[in-house]
Amino acid sequence: MSGEPNTLLAAAHAGAAQARRHGADAAKVVVSRSRGVDLEWRDGRLERVQERTQRSLSAELFVNGRYSASSTNDLRPEALEAFFADAVAMTRFLEPDPHRCLPDPSLYAGRASVDLDALDPTYDAVSSAERRTRVAELEALIRERNPELPIISVSTEISETRSQSARVHTNGFEGAREGTSFVLGGQVTVKDADGRRPMGWDYSVRRHRADLGSAESIARTAGARAAAQLGSGKLPTGRYTVVLENRAVPRLLGAFLGPLHGPALQQKQSLWEGKLGEAIASPLLTIFDEPHRVRGLGSALWDGDGFATHRRPLIEGGVLSTYLIDHYYGLKMGVAPTGGDTHNLAWSLGNRDYEGLIADVGEGLLIDRFLGGNSNGTSGEFSFGCGGRVIRDGRLAEPVAEINLSGNLAEIWNQLKAVGNDPDPESGSSCPTCVFEGVQLSGH
Amino acid sequence: MSDTLAHGLGYFGRFGVTEELLRAAFDRAMSTGADWAELFFQHKISHHLGLEDGAVNRAFGSVTLGLGVRVIKGDQTGYAYTEDLSRSAVCDAAATAAVIADGTARSGPVAFNVRPLPDRYPEREPWAEVGVERKMPILSRLNALAFERSADIIKVRVGFADSTGAVWVVDSDGRASFDHQPMAQISMSCTAERGKKRESNAANLAGREGFEFFTDQRISKLADDAVARTLFLFDASPAPAGALPVVLAAGSSGILLHEAIGHGMEADFNRKGISVYSDKLNQSIASADVTIVDDGTELGARGSINVDDEGVEGQRTVLVEQGVLRTYMHDRISAQHYGVAPTGNGRRESFRHPPLPRMRNTYMLPGPCDPEEIIRSVKRGVYAASFTNGQVMIGAGDFTFYIKTGYLIEDGRLTQPIKDTNIIGNGPECLRKTDMVGNDFQFDDGGWTCGKDGQSVPVSLGMPTVRVAEITVGGVNT
Repeated sequence: MSGEPNTLLAAAHAGAAQARRHGADAAKVVVSRSRGVDLEWRDGRLERVQERTQRSLSAELFVNGRYSASSTNDLRPEALEAFFADAVAMTRFLEPDPHRCLPDPSLYAGRASVDLDALDPTYDAVSSAERRTRVAELEALIRERNPELPIISVSTEISETRSQSARVHTNGFEGAREGTSFVLGGQVTVKDADGRRPMGWDYSVRRHRADLGSAESIARTAGARAAAQLGSGKLPTGRYTVVLENRAVPRLLGAFLGPLHGPALQQKQSLWEGKLGEAIASPLLTIFDEPHRVRGLGSALWDGDGFATHRRPLIEGGVLSTYLIDHYYGLKMGVAPTGGDTHNLAWSLGNRDYEGLIADVGEGLLIDRFLGGNSNGTSGEFSFGCGGRVIRDGRLAEPVAEINLSGNLAEIWNQLKAVGNDPDPESGSSCPTCVFEGVQLSGH
Repeated sequence: MSDTLAHGLGYFGRFGVTEELLRAAFDRAMSTGADWAELFFQHKISHHLGLEDGAVNRAFGSVTLGLGVRVIKGDQTGYAYTEDLSRSAVCDAAATAAVIADGTARSGPVAFNVRPLPDRYPEREPWAEVGVERKMPILSRLNALAFERSADIIKVRVGFADSTGAVWVVDSDGRASFDHQPMAQISMSCTAERGKKRESNAANLAGREGFEFFTDQRISKLADDAVARTLFLFDASPAPAGALPVVLAAGSSGILLHEAIGHGMEADFNRKGISVYSDKLNQSIASADVTIVDDGTELGARGSINVDDEGVEGQRTVLVEQGVLRTYMHDRISAQHYGVAPTGNGRRESFRHPPLPRMRNTYMLPGPCDPEEIIRSVKRGVYAASFTNGQVMIGAGDFTFYIKTGYLIEDGRLTQPIKDTNIIGNGPECLRKTDMVGNDFQFDDGGWTCGKDGQSVPVSLGMPTVRVAEITVGGVNT
C-alpha cells in the first residue's frame, strides 16, 4: 500500500496548512486510504472478483465563525488547491454558528496507551488462488453438511480490507490508525413446497484472519437457518413471550439507543429527554461502551472530536447512565460533551445459554430475524417485521413468518425478562439472546 | 471522431484521459480472452446545505472521480476501480479486472461509435452555475413557512442537496455514451409540542432537475406537507394488530410494488434461481386490472436515466401486463443469459461498483375503480396514506413497508388517524389479493433511494389507490 501512516499524517498536516492558507481559521483534516478484495463464488464457479483501492481527503473548516465539511478523492495538487479555495469560499456565504469551533486541546488529553491490535500483519500472506480455494471449499462444505436440503443455489464470499487514516486538527490533535477486516460467509437458497425460496446465511467478520469462525460452523449454521424456514406458517395475533436471538437484538437495541444522541435531544426528538439517572429499562439491562477491546470491530482510541475514548456505562441496572453528546451539540445544549459515539458494547450476561432460555420460556416465540419496520424516537413507538419459530414445551417447533412486533421503546426494554450468556462474536455490539415478556405480535 | 466520444474526451480530458489511454486500457482488459469489457468514468460534485434552529449554518461538499473497469466472461465478472486516472493506474485496474478470464487475448474496439441520447432531464439552471447564496433563501423560507403554519411547531430542520454527475461508458464493442445527470433534493423535518406531548415527522421532494426544480409552489407544498404530517400524529393512535384489508393511497404507496414484486423481478435473482418469481414468467400473477411498469423515461423524475450505467438506453419496461408477468428487469449479463435484449436496468451507485439489474421509476397504471368506492367497500380495515421505508426477502417473497400516517376504515369511512405501523406480507400472495385498482394514478416526487448489495441508487414510485383484501398490520391490540 502506498502511504504508511506517517505519510498520511504528513498529508493531513499539509491539508490543514493548505486550509489555513486559503483563509480557514481552523480545520480538522482526515486523510484515508484503503484497499481490498471481494470474491463471490456461486454454484461451482467464481461469480465475481473485485479489487478496491480508495483514497480521500476530508476537511471540516471553521471560517470567520462559519462551518463546512467537504471531501474529495481527486488528490492531484492542482485539484486540492481548487478544492480548498472552493470550500473556504462556500463557507464564507453561510450564516455564522457560535457553537462551531475546535474543542479545547485539554479535551484531547488522556488517550489510552492500549495496542488495539487492529492490523493483521499477515494481510498479504494469502494469494488470490488460496482465496478462490477457500470460497470453493466453503460451498462444497455447505452442500456436504446439508444433504437433506432441497438446495437451489449456494453462494459464498470472502471480503478482505486494509485501511489507514490520519487525523489532524489545527490546534494540536493528531492521530493515525491502521486496520484490517476479514469476512467469510455463505448463503444457501432452498426450494419450499409452496414455491417460496427461503435463504439461510451465516458469516464471520474479524480484524484478524486467524480469528475467523470456522467454515464448518458457517456451513452448518447457514444450512440450519435455511431448513428452519421451510414450511413457514403464520402466527395468531396476540401477546407472547419472545426469545430474541442474539444476532437480531441490535435492531431493537439500536432503536432504543438512537434517541440518546445529541442531535435528537437538542432537536427535541428524543423520548429520553430528562431521563438521565432514571430507570428506562429492566434492572437486567446493563451495557457498557468498550472502545479499547483488543481486536474489537468497533475499537478506537479517539472519536471524531479527537476526544480520548474510555470505557463507560450506557445503561446500568436499567438506569440511564449517560447521553451521547458530541462537542458541537454539547456547546449548543450548554452541557459538557460526553462523546457522541459508541464503539463495542459489553453486556452484563445471564447464566443461561440459547437452548436454556428456550427451555425456560416453555411456550412462546423465537424471533431470529427482523425485516424492515421503523421506530419513532420522539414518541417511542416502533413496529418491525420479523420471523422465527414457535416455542412449545421448551423446544423449537414450527417456523412462522409474516409477523410484526410493535410497541413502545419506553416499555419493551422494561419487559426484558432474561439475558443469555451468548454474546454474538460477529458483531461489535456483542448482543446476547434476550427474552421479553408480553410482547405484542400481529399475524393472522 | 464522433460527438459523444469528443464530449467524453473533452470532459475527462482535463483528468488526462485520451483515446490512446482508452485503447491501452482495453488491451489490458481483453488480454485474457474476455467476452466483453467496459470502462465507466465518473466525476460527481455534490453539495448539501443544512438549516437548524433558524440558521443556514452548515454546508457539505464532495468530489468523486474515478474509473471502474469491468471484464465479463459468460456470467462471470471481474471488476477493479481506480481513483487515479494516470496511465499506470488505469492499466493496472484493467489488468486486475481481466483475471476473471483465462484465455488468449482478444482485440479491443476498432472504432468508437455512438448513438444520440434522449434528454430526459434538461437542466435549465445547471448546478455548476448556482452558488450557495442562491440556495440559502429557500431553506430560510421553508423554516419561516413552518412556523407560520402552526404555533405548535418548536423545531425545524431543512436539508438541501444537489449534485451533478458526468458519466462516460465506453465498451469493447466501441460503443460510447456520455451523460450528464443532475439531481435536486430537499427534505424537511418538524417537531411540534402540545402540552407535554411531542411529535415529529418529515417530508421530502426530489427530481433530476437544476435549480429550476425549486418553484414557489413546490416549496410551499413541502412546508404544508411537513407541518400537516407532524400535527396529524397528535390525534393518531397505533393501528389495530392483525390481518386486515388495507387501502393504499395513490402516490407513494408504489413502495408496495417496489418491495412486493420489483426486487423479485430483477433478473440477476432469477438467473440464479433465488427469486420467488423465478419460474413465473408468462404466468398470471395478479388480477387483469394490474399493469406494472418500470420506466426510466419520465421527464425529470428521480429514477429516470437517458442511458443506464452500462451504455444501454433508459426505457419503459412493462413488467406485468393485465396481471401476466411479461419480463424481468435486465442488465447485459442477465439479458445474455436469457437471450433477450437488455432493458436498460443496469445501474450502479458509482464507479466503485459493478452494475446490477435495478429499478428506475416503478408504478402501477390506473384501473377502473373510483377511489371513494374502494374505501366504501371496506367494513373494517386500514387506509395507508404516507410511507417511510420498506424491505424484502427476495427468495421467500416476504416484504414489509412502514406506514407513517393513515386512518382506520370503519363501515366504509375513514375514521381514527393511525401512525407508525409496519405492514408485512408475501409478494405473490399480496399481488393476488390486490383486488381493486383506482383510476386516480399519482406519480410520487419523493426522494426515494433503493439499496441492494450495498449499493444505493435513486428511484421513484407511483400508484393509483388500490385495495389489498388482506395483509398483516403491525399494530397494538389494547
